[in-house]
Amino acid sequence: MAYLWVAIGGALGSMARYGMSGFIAALTGSTFPYGTLVVNVTGAMLIGFLATLSGPESRYFIPASGRIFMMTGVCGGYTTFSTFSLESANLMRDGEWTAALANIGFSVILCLVAIWIGHIGALVLNRVRGA
Amino acid sequence: MLLPRDATLLRIFIGESDRYEGHPLYEAIVLKAREVHMAGATVLRGPMSFGRSSRLHSAKILRLSDDLPIVVEIVDSQQQIDQFLPILEPMIGSGLVTVEKVQVVRYGDAPGA
Repeated sequence: MAYLWVAIGGALGSMARYGMSGFIAALTGSTFPYGTLVVNVTGAMLIGFLATLSGPESRYFIPASGRIFMMTGVCGGYTTFSTFSLESANLMRDGEWTAALANIGFSVILCLVAIWIGHIGALVLNRVRGA
Repeated sequence: MLLPRDATLLRIFIGESDRYEGHPLYEAIVLKAREVHMAGATVLRGPMSFGRSSRLHSAKILRLSDDLPIVVEIVDSQQQIDQFLPILEPMIGSGLVTVEKVQVVRYGDAPGA
């Protein structure tokens, strides 16, 4: 059953990524991989939020199937480390070292910041409910 | 088959995902050109483009790499190109077609036209 949740969540996440990265690419009209950066950062924010919201200290009880569906499935399908790696390598191949290093640096830093923002968001939600 | 020295180059700019009757459009164009005994056709694939819609296509970004540019080039006499254009017209949905004069220096094994 867990595989089914992962499959459904993964399909939804992948479709969301396809739509979001296409939207960002059309919006920016750039060959810098903004689309992949945005999906990875927003995905990191979502998984940070869900991790805290479904954690043992949370006031919310999210069943294991829900965590598998959202975190492994949706977040896993939505974010993409392989595309990030490929597009960074493409920038390096074309000699765009500044852009490649900026992509790697911003992706890692912004994703960690996004995890923290998601975590804070879930803590706030926990307090609101408990108040 | 011979080519006149003063020939015409037909260029057809399309996308790799363009289809005609279930086949890739570039393939359909080349096979049709061969069928009507055009002098030759060459397909080139590009790493980046944009067209009338301003939508960017690029091999560098995975999301933008699903419809990379294809250029089909056909060199033949003006008369042959003129006869081929009406055949080509219904095959192309969206694309750019250009015609320009070229000088043939060599065609096949024989030097000169």
